[in-house]
Amino acid sequence: MNNVKKWLKGIWIFPLLMGFSSCIEIIDDLSMNLDGSGTFKYTVNLSSSKSKINTILNLDSLDGKKVPKLPEIKSKVAEFTSLITKQPGISNVKVETKYDDYIIKFQCNFTNVSALQEALKNAITTLAIDKKGSVDYAYNWISWSTTKLQRSIPEISLQKVSEIKQSELDLLRTGSYTTISRFQKQVEKTDNPSATISTSRMAVMLKANAYSLTKNPKILENTIYLNQK
Amino acid sequence: MKKILFVCSFFVLSTVLAQKSEDLVPSEAITVFSLNNIQLLQKISMDQLVQYDFMEELQQELFDGSTNNKTIKDSGLDFDQKINIFLGQNPEYSISGVSFGVSNTTDLFTVFDDFTPVESPYSGIEWYDSYFNNLLIKGKSALLIRVEPNERKVDMITDSIWYARGNSSPWEFEYEEEAVEEPYNEGDTLEVIIDEEYVPEPTDDFSDSTENLMKNYYELRDSIQFALQLNYEKIVLDELFIQNKKLVATDARFAEQIAHNTEGTFYFDYSRKMEKSKGLFYFQGIVPSIYTDVNELYEENIITGDVVFVDDHLEFQVVTKYNKQLGEIYSSLADAKMDPAVKKYIPQNSPAFFVYKVNMREAYEKAYEIIMPILSKEENNNRLAANVMMLDLMNEFINKDAVFDTYKGSIFGSFNGVKKIKTKKIEFIYDEETYDYYEKETEAEEDMPVFTVGISTKRPDIPEKILKYMTKVLATRKDGHIHYINNVKGSEYYVMDKAILNAAPLYMINKNGVFIMTNDEDLAKNYTNGYEKKAISSKELKKAAQGGMMYAKIDLNSTVNLFPRDIFSPKENEIIDALRGKSGTMELTTSKTSINQTNLNLTYDFVTMPEGPGQHVLDMINAIYILTK
Repeated sequence: MNNVKKWLKGIWIFPLLMGFSSCIEIIDDLSMNLDGSGTFKYTVNLSSSKSKINTILNLDSLDGKKVPKLPEIKSKVAEFTSLITKQPGISNVKVETKYDDYIIKFQCNFTNVSALQEALKNAITTLAIDKKGSVDYAYNWISWSTTKLQRSIPEISLQKVSEIKQSELDLLRTGSYTTISRFQKQVEKTDNPSATISTSRMAVMLKANAYSLTKNPKILENTIYLNQK
Repeated sequence: MKKILFVCSFFVLSTVLAQKSEDLVPSEAITVFSLNNIQLLQKISMDQLVQYDFMEELQQELFDGSTNNKTIKDSGLDFDQKINIFLGQNPEYSISGVSFGVSNTTDLFTVFDDFTPVESPYSGIEWYDSYFNNLLIKGKSALLIRVEPNERKVDMITDSIWYARGNSSPWEFEYEEEAVEEPYNEGDTLEVIIDEEYVPEPTDDFSDSTENLMKNYYELRDSIQFALQLNYEKIVLDELFIQNKKLVATDARFAEQIAHNTEGTFYFDYSRKMEKSKGLFYFQGIVPSIYTDVNELYEENIITGDVVFVDDHLEFQVVTKYNKQLGEIYSSLADAKMDPAVKKYIPQNSPAFFVYKVNMREAYEKAYEIIMPILSKEENNNRLAANVMMLDLMNEFINKDAVFDTYKGSIFGSFNGVKKIKTKKIEFIYDEETYDYYEKETEAEEDMPVFTVGISTKRPDIPEKILKYMTKVLATRKDGHIHYINNVKGSEYYVMDKAILNAAPLYMINKNGVFIMTNDEDLAKNYTNGYEKKAISSKELKKAAQGGMMYAKIDLNSTVNLFPRDIFSPKENEIIDALRGKSGTMELTTSKTSINQTNLNLTYDFVTMPEGPGQHVLDMINAIYILTK
């Protein structure tokens, strides 16, 4: 638990990196099987701001908060992996990191979307019991029936987006958040006009500017209807 | 005639004996900023004033809407008296506050609206307090003061009482750390991570039923802090109002400085700052005679200054005074001439540059002569004796000619603007058929400030040797290789890949008696023999050469405002932020260093603002405040 508390002090680095990284790229990639199980991939790419991140990591503190060193961040990532692996309904957890380019890729299999949401919720809640105790991760961002997927983005993304200071928001104008939803049936339609369907009609992509996301977190909400056949 | 003499005497006496705001500066103050001509500030709004860092102690009082739409003129201040901002510290407590003149208490309390009157134990003093500060009014002058006990002392007393009551550690964790077994390999080193930031919740551990003893750790700590605060407040105020121990009476140098008829004055007693320095506490216990001697070395070390309007620019005229011992080291250090080779590497359009010239050899010899006897005096410290022996032997064996010919002491630096640097980034490329994606390395650009730093050297063969060896030493590393480049234009330089922030190259030029490190590709590729006609003018360099140890010039608009925030430390950012948004040129010159003082002149050639020149006085004081706090 002591390690978890240490992680809590490191977790602020996420909004910090978002805030100071003009080109953060996040891809969340959800593949659904017909039985409701699936694979969830989450990729954070900060490679185009690596010199800024190197600078930040060289500082002892920034805005009055301690800047964790790279080994500390690595150990926190490992901790998160360990926590999520223990969650029911979750298997095949993989985390790939490229610290030279600041790319982190997370991937896991889930038995159903509730198990995925619960697992992320539990892991994040455990890690985010901060001093204020005000973190509310009760938000459900995904629901599935055999022909319909309703989705937004994981709550951690929304929570951290809301913590970015107004003065730092401009730096996010060139950042992006992409959601990809994949199916084993063809997609009939989607209700978010910004979403695009792949030419094979087996996947839907919805991309938003990171800055716009901070202004309207609902921008990535989408309901995807699959063909009945 | 008698009547006239009486009236004249009365007038003189009343002027001399009239209460002045500076009389309320406590003797514990180490740093004092005084705004003399506060007429200048009349147009400045209170909201603007309280934004300054030097007002931070008062911000709790003033950031509550009470200053809205008010100028300093509306605040009841007496514009015939000075405003004195002071800070002080001793091992027991720190003080901070402001003293100022009062012309209208009704107006004053519309700004300081959270203060309530309390009974004053001091005759002729009205006392008001708020949650944070005390406001004491004596005649037409007021003192706003805060006294804070030393945090370490509060912690020590709290711990002592807490454990004496039989409590367990307040830092005890609710949870046991999960043991993670990791395989141990031969050659592994044990890494101990000490997390200084971590402040655990105290456990509720009550060992006594008495109400007074029911306090948890933090409540107990608060009570102790409050009790100490009252005690120290009493000490400071008794000294000031009963014993009449005010800084203007206890330090003639302050009295002399504050009497200057300038826009503002500055007083910083560095000898007392050194004495109270936390870093020296270690020496106090371990090597007491060195502690005493080092303090003696800094005795009489005081920095005073005046803020003066000269024509349409502002000057900060600083005098650093020191004793003979320190003066001998400084004079030796300053006994240097600027290397003319430096000139050709500072570009004409450089928005900011500095030149620093010292005589390292002379300074070393003098410091050795003065400091070694101090170090050798300590009798009962084995480790120190061993270190002193090593220093002595090194002094004998090392080729000092080679060392001080390699780095003679002239150093220069220039800021050459912000340029785009090429880096690599990873892009995800999507397949339109499936939206599968793969990684591709592509070119990217990031902003980076371009700096050049160089030293003049009489032994270019030594840096050359180091660079040649380093190319081999680093050859097997994944990144950070050093290559020697000799291009068609005749430019010769070394370049280290990904040296800066793991992204940008660092160029090293070793030519014409100058060794340069820069991230300026243009300088390395096109100007290794200097900028020639594109270098700063001889006239401009003459100014730098004529002065003392340091010369610096900075165009605020094209320098400070362009600095990317995230490459500087918080402290550096504080200083930069204080100057951000300002226009004009700042020029720093130093005089020749004498045995007892060095003069430093900071000139601010500003662009006039609607708030009038007072704004610039405040800006400058704010920058100096941040530097010295």
